[in-house]
Amino acid sequence: MAPLLCIEKLRVTFRTRYGEVTALDSISMHVNEGETLGVVGESGCGKSITALATMGLIPSPPGRIADGSIQLAGEELIGANSARLRKLRGGDIAMIFQEPMTSLNPVFTVGDQIAEAITLHQNVSADRAFTDAVALLDRVGIPSPDRRARDYPHQLSGGMRQRVMIAMAVSCRPKVLIADEPTTALDVTVQAQIFDLLNEIQRDFGAAIILITHDMGAISEMADRVAVMYAGRVIEEGSADSILDQPQHPYARGLIDCIPTLGRAERTLKEIPGVVPPLHLLGAGCAFAERCAFNDRARCTTEKPRLIDHGHHPAACHGVEESRL
Amino acid sequence: MSERALNKAESPALEAWRIFRRNVPALIGVVILTVIVLATLYGSFIYTGDAFEIVWAPHEPPGVTPDFPLGTDYLGRSVVAGMLTGGGPTLAVGAAAAAITMVIGVTLGALAGFHGGWVDNLLMRITEFFQVLPALLFAMVLVTLFSPSLLTIAIAIGVVSWPQTARLTRAEFLKVKELEYVTAARAIGARDARIIWKVILPNAAPPLIVSATLTIGVAILFEAGLSFLGLGDPNVMSWGLMIGANRDYILDAWWPVTFPGLAIFLTVFAVSLIGDGLNDAFNPKMRER
Amino acid sequence: MSASYLMKRVGYGLLLMLGVVILNFLLIRLAPGDPAVVIAGEMGGATEEMLESIREEYGLNKPLLTQLWIYVSGVVRFDLGQSFFFNQPVTTLIAQRILPTILLVITAQILSILLGVFLGVIASRKPGGVVSAFVSVFATIGYAVPVFWTGIMLIILFASILPIFPVEGMLSVKLRDANIFVQALDVLHHLVLPAFTLAIIYLAQYARLGRASMLEVLGSDYIRTARAKGASERSVLFKHALRNAALPILTVAGLQFGNLISGALLVETVFNWPGMGRLAFDSILRRDYPTIMGVLFFASFMVVVANILTDMSYRWADPRLRGKS
Repeated sequence: MAPLLCIEKLRVTFRTRYGEVTALDSISMHVNEGETLGVVGESGCGKSITALATMGLIPSPPGRIADGSIQLAGEELIGANSARLRKLRGGDIAMIFQEPMTSLNPVFTVGDQIAEAITLHQNVSADRAFTDAVALLDRVGIPSPDRRARDYPHQLSGGMRQRVMIAMAVSCRPKVLIADEPTTALDVTVQAQIFDLLNEIQRDFGAAIILITHDMGAISEMADRVAVMYAGRVIEEGSADSILDQPQHPYARGLIDCIPTLGRAERTLKEIPGVVPPLHLLGAGCAFAERCAFNDRARCTTEKPRLIDHGHHPAACHGVEESRL
Repeated sequence: MSERALNKAESPALEAWRIFRRNVPALIGVVILTVIVLATLYGSFIYTGDAFEIVWAPHEPPGVTPDFPLGTDYLGRSVVAGMLTGGGPTLAVGAAAAAITMVIGVTLGALAGFHGGWVDNLLMRITEFFQVLPALLFAMVLVTLFSPSLLTIAIAIGVVSWPQTARLTRAEFLKVKELEYVTAARAIGARDARIIWKVILPNAAPPLIVSATLTIGVAILFEAGLSFLGLGDPNVMSWGLMIGANRDYILDAWWPVTFPGLAIFLTVFAVSLIGDGLNDAFNPKMRER
Repeated sequence: MSASYLMKRVGYGLLLMLGVVILNFLLIRLAPGDPAVVIAGEMGGATEEMLESIREEYGLNKPLLTQLWIYVSGVVRFDLGQSFFFNQPVTTLIAQRILPTILLVITAQILSILLGVFLGVIASRKPGGVVSAFVSVFATIGYAVPVFWTGIMLIILFASILPIFPVEGMLSVKLRDANIFVQALDVLHHLVLPAFTLAIIYLAQYARLGRASMLEVLGSDYIRTARAKGASERSVLFKHALRNAALPILTVAGLQFGNLISGALLVETVFNWPGMGRLAFDSILRRDYPTIMGVLFFASFMVVVANILTDMSYRWADPRLRGKS
């Protein structure tokens, strides 16, 4: 069976003062029905751009989808007309954003904002939509939902607001739910609650989830499959178990080493040295070469590694390819 | 990171100047203003003539008689002479009124922002009170009561225009007051007056400089409005007075009204281009909008 | 909206008005010369009997505080004294003139806000585009043109070249006896040029402000949320964004009201509009102080009322402020 959402060789460029910069370099990934795909990487690696491209929300100009395809249940989204995309946005594909504090409109009640999402995609009366909104607030675990529906965002806590965002996102039973760092801005205890809620929602609504995060802990808790991104490319892809147990790419290994483990007596948290290079300074070689401890071949600085399966799951690394690691 | 930032740290003023001198509209403003100022200062040496003197038949159109290139007004006075001598009072009053506005506004705003508490409360209530009075009307009343002269007009404009400056200064002071170097100055035991004038004010200066520039523009418009209404100094020719005096005859002769109006417009236009340029120069990040 | 907050605002407004009354009182006494002569009007050619009756009425022989009391208690009874030039009570004079001024000021205010905001919204769609550049240039020009000169230029244009709008007065003489509907239309016809002249300055400012605040709002997270739920571009602009961008515009509109009245003064003089500005101009020429002071009092009163209304609508428009005092 074909995957529900399939991104193929997607290339997104941005016009900047340094010229045309490639933000996504031929990335491919897919997610199946009812599955959770974790997309992981540091900030600036292209995770959020991937999400926005899927939603058809790349700000243009300066952004542009230069090449590739995004198919939802066999329907091509790139080049689809804007009316059709609007129908899909919030309908078949919904998204939860990182900042619950600023992602809700401050001048409308949360009930109205959820009800708007409902009336945009379903042929129901405003009253009915509001009743549905209250039911959804109840579903996402907001106490006394009929009263809360009449509250404005500033009257709710961050965790509550993220629940409202989730209620809004699932209001039209989307096939794909994209969650872009949904817990980053929240307290640790609230984070766990939100993940539990997402799991429940997935069970009840049967949506596929794309979870975008930089937190390998969240991945291990939520994801079935994982795509690791670095500097606008997918550098490793596979089942969550396989990647967590047998990370191939030195960057993926680094990320997994960063997970603090209870009981392990480490004095300091590990981190990967260096930063993601700015996109306009990417050279011909592997984007990770400068930070890589195993960068000992000329190839690493002259040739971009391709994503190839070397046994466990696909990874894009010359070292892995040559079995040096 | 740009190489410039790596190579040498520029002083903010130098940085601002570097941005400003590349700002084409602002430079146009500087050029226009320079021409106008030079014309009002030295123009009467080139074109000699008394703006009040009746020298020709009334309503001579511009461009007909070489002696009166901009024509004559309803009494037969030379419009060029009025243009050249009428700019001086307008510019002088504008600059003086802006200075008075800034002195009152910055002083009260600084005191309110620095001291807070009841001082702030009292000064802000006074500010609000002055904002309730429609500025031009209040200025008209002041000028009428204390008989019009260039000085009373400048004072009247200053007295009615300071509240906005005071609010801006207060807001800037509230912002700067919390910064570390102010705390540091307090920690080494600097006196209040020293902290206000030597530590906070220089750091709050950029928006105040922009505001001062724009205030000059507003003050010039004020002066023009008062002179237009006949509330200027009756013994001094000014652009506003020319418009006011000739406005009953506009359908017979457009030129004695049009040229002074253009002059006022160009002056204020130039000043606000410069003000915008300064604003951009002090806030480079805003330019990317 | 809490009634107690409204009461507080009204109370403060009354206090400000008391301040205006005291200021008026002090101004007359601070002016050089005999207050009785000042009140009678220097050009009124007051006789000694008149001056004596003024001294009697205002209690000018009594201590200053008693004089103040007499003055304030008069104002409370809406007695602002007698105009010796017009030979009528000042309150009567102003009552005849206040409606045309309100009509002019409100029309100009609405015109400038609607047109200005509309231009600003259009400009914000393309920050680097033609409309945007036009708005910036137009705003600077609108700010720099003396309003009375704009009026005169429009009179020249519409009196001789394009005679489609009347350039003087408020009502055609020949329609003195026409029915009210015809008269109302004629007043509107006369209103076009003065209202437009007055609106130009503020129109430009609102366009510039509208553009800036729309640009800021359009970059915010909740706009992305609105797009993500499939809202149409028009709904994003005029519902989600404008409601938020309107808040700073509302603030400025309130602060500008006093300047609008100042501008109306000049515009009324240029177009012979029979309002308070025209009255102020006439009475200043005649040094008719009681009338001038009366105009100052009522103009300030209008500003106070406008400020209270602005405050109230601001609290209505921004739910974050409701319930605070």
